[in-house]
Parts: sequence; structure tokens; C-alpha cells
Amino acid sequence: MHLHAIISSAACCIAGALAIFADEAYHIDYHRALVGFPTQDATFFHQPYAGSKASLVYTLSNKLILAAVNPKDGATVWRQALSHPPNITEGFLRAGEEQDTVVSAVGGEVTAWSTSDGRFVWKTKFPDTIVKDVEILELEGGRTSREAKDAIILLSGGEHVIKRLDGKTGAVKWTYEDISGDSPFQVSTSATGIHYISLHSTMLGGVKIKVTSLDLVTGQKLDQYTLSSDNEVISPECVLFAGANSASPLLAWTDKAHTVLKVNIIGTKSVSTFNAPRKGAEEVQKIVLHAPRRINSVSHFLVHYQTASTHSAEVYHVDLKKSVISKAYSLPELTGNGAFTTSTTDANVYFTRITAEEMIVVSSASHGILGRWPFKTSISKDQTFPVHGVSEVVVRSDSAQAVRSAVLFSDGQWVLVRNGELVWTRPELLAGALTAVWADLPEQEALAQELAIEGHENILSAYVHRVKRHIRDLEHLPAWLENLPIRILANFGGKTPSTSTTEIQQDSFGFHKLVIIATEANRLVALDAGSAGRLIWNIDLPKLAPGFTFENPTLSASHGYVEVRDSGLESPLLINTTTGGLVSLQDTTTTQNNLQEGQMLVSFDLIDGELKGFLDKKASSPIWSFLPPNGERIVGITARPIEDRVASIGKVLGDRRVLYKYLNPNLVLVTTVLDATRIASVYLLDSASGNLLHAATHSNVDITRQIPSALSENWFSYSFTLDSTTELSSRGYQLVVTELYESAVPNDRGPLGAAANYSSVQPSSALGDAAKPFVISQTYHTAEEISHMTVTQTRQGITSRELLVALPETNSIVGIPRYVIDPRRPIGRDPTALEVGEGLTKYTPVLQFDPKWYLTHKMEVFGVKKIITSPALLESTSLVFAYGLDVFGTRVTPSFAFDVLGKGFNKLQMLATVAALGVSVLFVAPLVRRKQINSLWQIP
Amino acid sequence: MRLSTATPLLPLLTPLTIAVRLTLTIPSTPILQNPSLLPPTTHATLQSSGAPLSAPLSRSNTFVFDNVTQGSWLAVVHSHDFAFEMLRVDVTAEGDGKGGEVEKVEAWQSFLGNEWDNRGEVRGMGVVGMGSGGGVVVEVRAVGVKEFYQARGGFSPLSFLKNPMILMALFSLVLIVGMPYLIENMDPETKAEFEEIQKKSPLTGAGNPASQLQNFDFASWMAGKTAPGVEGQGQVGQAKKR
Repeated sequence: MHLHAIISSAACCIAGALAIFADEAYHIDYHRALVGFPTQDATFFHQPYAGSKASLVYTLSNKLILAAVNPKDGATVWRQALSHPPNITEGFLRAGEEQDTVVSAVGGEVTAWSTSDGRFVWKTKFPDTIVKDVEILELEGGRTSREAKDAIILLSGGEHVIKRLDGKTGAVKWTYEDISGDSPFQVSTSATGIHYISLHSTMLGGVKIKVTSLDLVTGQKLDQYTLSSDNEVISPECVLFAGANSASPLLAWTDKAHTVLKVNIIGTKSVSTFNAPRKGAEEVQKIVLHAPRRINSVSHFLVHYQTASTHSAEVYHVDLKKSVISKAYSLPELTGNGAFTTSTTDANVYFTRITAEEMIVVSSASHGILGRWPFKTSISKDQTFPVHGVSEVVVRSDSAQAVRSAVLFSDGQWVLVRNGELVWTRPELLAGALTAVWADLPEQEALAQELAIEGHENILSAYVHRVKRHIRDLEHLPAWLENLPIRILANFGGKTPSTSTTEIQQDSFGFHKLVIIATEANRLVALDAGSAGRLIWNIDLPKLAPGFTFENPTLSASHGYVEVRDSGLESPLLINTTTGGLVSLQDTTTTQNNLQEGQMLVSFDLIDGELKGFLDKKASSPIWSFLPPNGERIVGITARPIEDRVASIGKVLGDRRVLYKYLNPNLVLVTTVLDATRIASVYLLDSASGNLLHAATHSNVDITRQIPSALSENWFSYSFTLDSTTELSSRGYQLVVTELYESAVPNDRGPLGAAANYSSVQPSSALGDAAKPFVISQTYHTAEEISHMTVTQTRQGITSRELLVALPETNSIVGIPRYVIDPRRPIGRDPTALEVGEGLTKYTPVLQFDPKWYLTHKMEVFGVKKIITSPALLESTSLVFAYGLDVFGTRVTPSFAFDVLGKGFNKLQMLATVAALGVSVLFVAPLVRRKQINSLWQIP
Repeated sequence: MRLSTATPLLPLLTPLTIAVRLTLTIPSTPILQNPSLLPPTTHATLQSSGAPLSAPLSRSNTFVFDNVTQGSWLAVVHSHDFAFEMLRVDVTAEGDGKGGEVEKVEAWQSFLGNEWDNRGEVRGMGVVGMGSGGGVVVEVRAVGVKEFYQARGGFSPLSFLKNPMILMALFSLVLIVGMPYLIENMDPETKAEFEEIQKKSPLTGAGNPASQLQNFDFASWMAGKTAPGVEGQGQVGQAKKR
């Protein structure tokens, strides 16, 4: 068995010639380590350890990714994807003051993580329950403890319980059960005890807020009172705020129309009532209460009123001795949406008001403005506004010296602004990418169109057209000449010319392509793949199609437009790829119908577990249908890419004979599983006729795991996990690669050989198996589960292909060279000389992913859902883009960069060599001349 | 959806299982000297059937699996920068000799693509009783560093000189250039001796058929003359024979 390992590693060494050069890493690829939208309650600045000078931004996002972000540059220090049941979208994140752990709670799991490095500290699981709230117990008997602070959690399951968890181990210290049947809302801790807030529904539809006080040490019920809130509160959304770790925990609620604000200091029974400001006819749409979380801060709080077009705020003070809440001052009304953040230094509380234009810092004590910074660069374009944020304020001698705020804007960007200056932006909206498509730059397509015109006209007019085009191109000459010295200098400096200009630059290699992404937040985003994934435009789709939410959009790009379709949308939206503007159907000159006379389009769809092909989209009766046998369930359908160039129709063997590839543009691979017997099958269909071309079945497959597949050229591959419930010879994951040929015999085209025409419906006059392709297949063990696979694409298909696989366990993407997984590798013997000439090596059952194949090298790309590839103008290069949670893009050269000079080509050295040769010629020339003269004058 | 229905059933099917806590620890080895530098995304999975159990890396460089049920598990440590050995972990029920049951945990090295019964060295073993509530600690070692980058074959004069062709060319160049000087600097006796040897040597001497052929005086041969050198040498040869 050691031998096996050695053999497999030796095989890797042979294959491992293809890798990323260290000097090209981070230059040819780009990666955005995203987290998703940070949630308001679970985002805060926190020092990673007590006494640390710098603090990090900790957040738990809507994607349930826990992350620590460096506020200096916006880089993620660490990330953890929290495991959660599929229906859970809510999570909690809390950090105790001066603690080196943060506590997260998702579903029924409470976990503590190390703040500085993201390592796991402890975890406590509560099966069949959902955590409703987590609080950190800051005060123990009136003083802060030096030890790890305990956590109080509220669980909702069969019955609602409150538990105190040990801060060091996560062990349960005590449990309080609530048997009243009220719906649990929150827990709140204060210096004196723990307050459990539950909502009691009354007969008349109102909700009464019930507050139960518990003993800190034993968890026994001390006191309980009910607030008569049933006139206002009709649903949990009406309760605005409860608790936080303030010296005076508050409970605030409003009515449905947001006209009144009622505040109760938890522990007392008195309720203060305030009326929401009403100016003009506009109704208050949203009320947000901001209160400091620190225990030793003064008990002031801010109430933010948002109407449709304006926002304002009022600051209130709490007198703890008299238990009285009084309004201190109001902040003036400003147009547009705004966000307020709370920050504390010592006991002082500061509020930062962030609008679309500026940030203003005020103290909670008085209304005087301590600092005001207008945004230097316009951060928000076309009516975006801040949604929520967190701030850190530095105040010296009653004026704010500095403020930095991490703000989520409505266009999905998470931005850090320091004193009005934009420090970093994180395009968190890309974390919710639903689908993406490649789009060519319009200039490229324009040229292609012009060339097509020239190709279809007669010679003379085509020549005139060409000359005219060249004269038109001359207008770019002065600019080109102007840039020439800069480009030459940059070339010799080993740098690529900077792409700081806002417009997309055309390049001669075709690396600058656009990726158009539709996101969950109903936005459409364009990235430039050639300049490190720069965001070109970002538009709001519902603005273009009012009142419509895109749930499952499909994109297609052609001729400078992107078509956005969705089921339920009557006509597709057409969007200009360069500007992001809406284009009306009349403006598009080209008709999208590529069909020739007499041709028909067959489309297929999965309907009720059956694959059906239709001649016309609106036709009701299918022309073919495929129902897998034995009640198998279809889990995946992969079709051959529409653009799949193949350079050679055959494979040349070592002895110069040819195996003809089975090239059918209508191939569809269907993967099915049979739940009862743990069997997975694949069926290869011809989508035009519905004919079954090939079928394979694998037993002992873990059918709960995914079965990704890819189809290209004349081969396909799929991967599955072996199930262990039955006795097995081996365990792990398998990758199957299958090739299709027209005939098993070289130099023979099988039944197709003599045919002048090819028809999908009647592939050949032969019947039975003779009409089917010759199939060879090999299976490899892989060390890791594969979640998605796709194949690289190049311009002409001359370059060999690479199978790109996403490995979710190590968060990486691997490009497996095609020759490594060639199904023609000889089994059980060494390859013959002819086979070596073909590049075949001996078959090994194990396919170790060579680290040199990792396209992501040192980057960890989280949550890859799909990888899309596109050819560049260079034949050697294929562009790769992966999305899901993170966004990653790179260029791959499966047969090396044979048509472009790499960075290894030293231009200075070349110049020096030429110069040295020139100098030596200068020296040698007189010598040679003298010798020649001498030889002429000498008598032989 | 099937998963959620399957999970509540599991405790019903195996009512008497004891919660086995399996702890995988990463020792400091020459390959991985400081396991504390591993990234926080490093995690271990226990795979048998269905979704694998997963445990993140803790502060003390361990992976803790609570409630490991009976079965044969494949334990894999997934690290972005290091390759780890695979383990086979078997949890079986055994009688403790007093009528009760204990859970026996055994861990071996396992090899990818090999038969499942092909086990390597034992990496840990332990028995967990009903009352003890303890766990079993198993070591898992790093076997290699993932080297992602390819070094660019840059130009260096040393590697250029190491090329055998270049070495041969340089050697012959030295011979061609240096030989005349060497001969000139020899003392007269050795020089004469050397010349003698050179004359006799088949390569350089007049007896060399190739040089004979090249220096063949066709005109004199036609005139019926015999080559003096050849004649002389023939005589010498004859004299020696005598």
C-alpha cells in the first residue's frame, strides 16, 4: 500500500508541469472574499484581545458567514461559514467587553470563536431547538469579572428555556423553563439580574409584553410583571428594542402606524409615552432605537424616525434615580434616508449621523455638532443611501477628531468611510450571485459585424468598405501614438499598463470581457474580468421592471446587450453591457433568429420528473420524452455548451491512425438516483431526437450527496460519493471520465462513414448498438468531494482542455489536465512506445490533486456554486470566473501560454544581448577586415 | 428534506449507543512544526453515509467530534496548505465482561484508492464505557506541504555552465587554444618524445589512412611515383620486424 501511494505521487510529478507561476499569482487572478450583507445587530467594532490598540469589525452576515474584517483595508482576517439547517436564516453574534472570544448562535448551536484567529473554542448543541437570543453576562454581582464571561441564551423549541452557559467551556450552568406558552422574544441582562421578555397574545389580537426577572446565580424566577401594550403591539415587529447591556435596559415599542413611542425601563412598571414627530402629511415608516451597549456608559438613547423622503432623530435621557425618561434634543430633519450609529468612549455616548452626502458626530449630552465631514468622493451614486452601520469616534476636548464608520449602502456595497474619505468598499451584493454570463466588449462585436459585412459583399464593395473602415480607424492614431512611449516603458518595467481609466479598455488579447451577474437583491452587476474584476456598473432591476421581483432570472448576452428573462416577465429586459442602461426592443437592430429556412429549434425541459423535448416552445405535446427506468429520480441535466469549438474531428494515435470522435452538438447528460437501493445512473441523450446513446449505473452511491457532471467535445465526466452502509472494497469519492468515439476501430467511421448527411433523428441506417457511439470509460478515486465541474473553452478548441472542479472542503478550484484523466490510459501494464508517444501514462486508480493544479493557490474561495469559462482572443487562454459566495476569476492556459510572451521573458536581457552582439561586431569587424586583406596579399 | 426526517429516527434505531467523543489532535512534526499557524478554516470530517460530520480546528489544535455513533468512519483533515493522512475510525460495541456494553474505538492509517480493509499503522485506540463519558484521542499527522507555485526557469550563468553540451564545448575550446602553448612550454626532451608519440599515433601520424587519403598526391601517383612518406614508413616497419 505504501507502494501505491508512491506510484500515485510519482504520477502526479509527471503531470505536475502545469502550474501557476509565483510572479503571476494575484496578477492574472482576482478574488473577492465576501461575507454577504452584514446584519445590523451582529456587526460591531471589537478589540481582538484585551488591551489591543487596533480593533476589527466582526460581523455575522445574512449568509451566516462569521467574519472579522480589518477596518484599515477591508481585508477579511478570518471567516467561518456557520453550519445551519437549510431553513434558518437568522443568527446572533455577541462579544463581551475585553473578551477574546465571540459567541455565535445559529439554529440550535451556540459556538464560541477565538477573536484573533477565528479558531473554534467551544460549542454547545441543543438539538430540535432554535436559539432566539444570546446575551453576554457583563456584570457578575455588580462588578465585571476578569474571567471568561458567561452567556445567557434563549431557546425556542418544544418549550422555551433560558440557559446560562459557562464562558470557558459552554457547559450549561442552569436552566429556566417557561411553561406559560408565550412566544419568547428576547433576554436582557442588567446589573441586577436577567430579564426574560416574552409576548403574551391576548384574546382581542393585541400582544402584552411580559417581563420575567431571573436570578443570576440560580436561574430562579424572582419577579414577573406584564405591560399593557396590547393597544399598540399587534405583532413582534412592533417591539422596537429590548435591553442591551446597558445599566438601564430599555423596552420600547410602537403601534402599527408608527405614531407613538412607548418606553419602559426594564425592572420598573412605568411606561413613558412620546409622540412621533409629524410634519406635513408624510407618515413615519420606520422607527429605530439606538442605545449604547457598554455597561458603564450613560443611559442616553436616540430614536431615528424615517419617512418616505426625510429622516430625523430625537435623543432621550434616562434618569435612573427617578426612573424618568425625558427628551433632551432633536436632530434636524434632512431629506433622504440616513443611518445613525452609536459609539462610546468611557462613559460618553456619541451618535454619528450618516447621510448620502456627509457624516455628522454629535454627543448624546447636547445637540452641538462635534464634527462634520462631507463625503469627498461621491460614495453614493443614483439615489443610493446608507442602510445601517457601525462607528468608532475619537473625541478630544469636545470636538470629534476622527470618525470611521463601516456602512452598508442600499446598492449592496459595504463601505468604510473615515472622516468623509472612502477607505474601502466591499461589493457584498456579489455574495448573493444567482447567475452570471460572459459578455463580449461591444467594440469586438462591432468589428466582427463589419468583417461579416465584408465577407458577404462582392469583392469591390467589400474593398471600398474596408478602406473606409481603415480611414475611420485612423482617428485613433494620435491617441495611440501618444500612449506609445508609456506602453513601451511599462512593458520594459515588467508592468501591465494601468487601467485606472473608468472606461473599459480594449486589449489585443481579449482578456477584457465583462461578467454580468444577477444577484439575490435584484441587482444586475457588470465586472471587468480583465482588470481584476473591477465593478463597471451596478443597477437596480426592479426600477426597470417596476413591481417585479426576479426570483430565478436567466441571462444571455449578445451584440452588446444582456437579456434578462424570468418566468412571469412578459418581455425580456434588454440592457446595454457597457453602460447598464435599459435598451428598448426597437433600438436593437439585429434579430436574434439564427435559424435557416427549414430548420427547427427543439427545446427541452424537466416537467414532473420527466425530461421532455418540444419542437415549439408554446407547443403542448412533446416530440420526445425521457422517463428514467425503475422510478429513478432526475437530479441533474448537463447539456453540451452552445459554443464548444473542436479543432480536430479525430484523435491521432501513436501509429498515425485516427480514432474519430463522436461529435454531436445535441448531447445531454442526465444524472439520476434511485433512493431505495443507493444507485446512481447517467444517461446520455440526443436532445434533438430523444434517443438514448449511452447509459451507465453505479451502485453503492451516497445519493444524499451531489453528483456534479460536465460535458464537452466528445467526453463527459461526473463524480459521486461512495456510501458505506454496505460492505465495500473502498471508500471515498469517485470521478468517472467517459469518451465517445464513432467506432472502436481506428481509421473507421463506423456506420457514419459512408453517409453524406447526418440526422439526429435517424443517426444511421444501422440499427441497434451499431448506431450508438463507442464508449470508453475510466474511474478514479479522488481525495475530496467535488461540488461542481466545468470544462475550459478556447477560441478554436486547438488547446487541450482542462476539467475545472470546485472542492468545497478546502475552498479551492482545481484544473485537472485532460491528459491525466484520459480514459485510454493502459490498465495494469506500462504504456507501449506508441502510447507514450500519445502522452498516455499507466492507469492509477487514485487521482491525487496536485497542488500545482490549484487555480486558487493560496486563496480560499468560499461557497463556489458555479464556474463559467469563456475563450479569450488568444488561442492558448481560457477565462474562468467562479461565483457563489466569493467571486473569483483567473486565466488558464492548459497547453501553456504558447502564443504570448510570459513574464519570464526578460526584455531587458534581450536588449542587452543585442547590444552586446552589436558591440562585439564593432570590435571584431576591423580584425576580420585586416585578415581578409592580408590573405589577399599573401602569396599562397 | 429527507435528511431532516432521517435525523430524528437515528436515536430510535440505536437506543443504546453511548456518546463517543472522538478527538483528533495534530502533533508537531517536522513537516508541520507549528500547528498553531494552521488557518481557521482547517477542519476534519468523519464520513460514512450522508452528510459528513464536521469539526473545526480548536485553539489547542484538535478536532472534537461529539456523539460519534457506531460504524466505520473515514476521517479526513481538510487543510488548505497541508496534506494530512487519512484515517479509518471504527466504533464498535463490545461487552465489558460485566454484562454491560462499552464502545471500542480504533483508528488506523488508511490509504486512498485502496481496499477499505487495507489498514496502516494504529493511530489510536480506546474504550468508552457507559459511565465514563470519556473520549478517545487519536493523532493525525501532516504528510506534506502543498506547493502551489511553479518556479520560473530563469536564466542563471551557473545552470548554463552545468549543461553537459556547454561543458564539452568549453573543454574542446580549451584544448584547441591551450595545446600549442602547452607544447611550446615543454622542455625539449619531452617535446621530442611527444612528437615521436604523435607521429606513431594512428590518429595524427602519417599512417592514418584518412590523412593518407586526404594528402594523396594523385598527380605523382599517375606519374608512377611512390609516396615518400609511405615508403619510408614501410621501411621502418620492415626494419622493426627484422
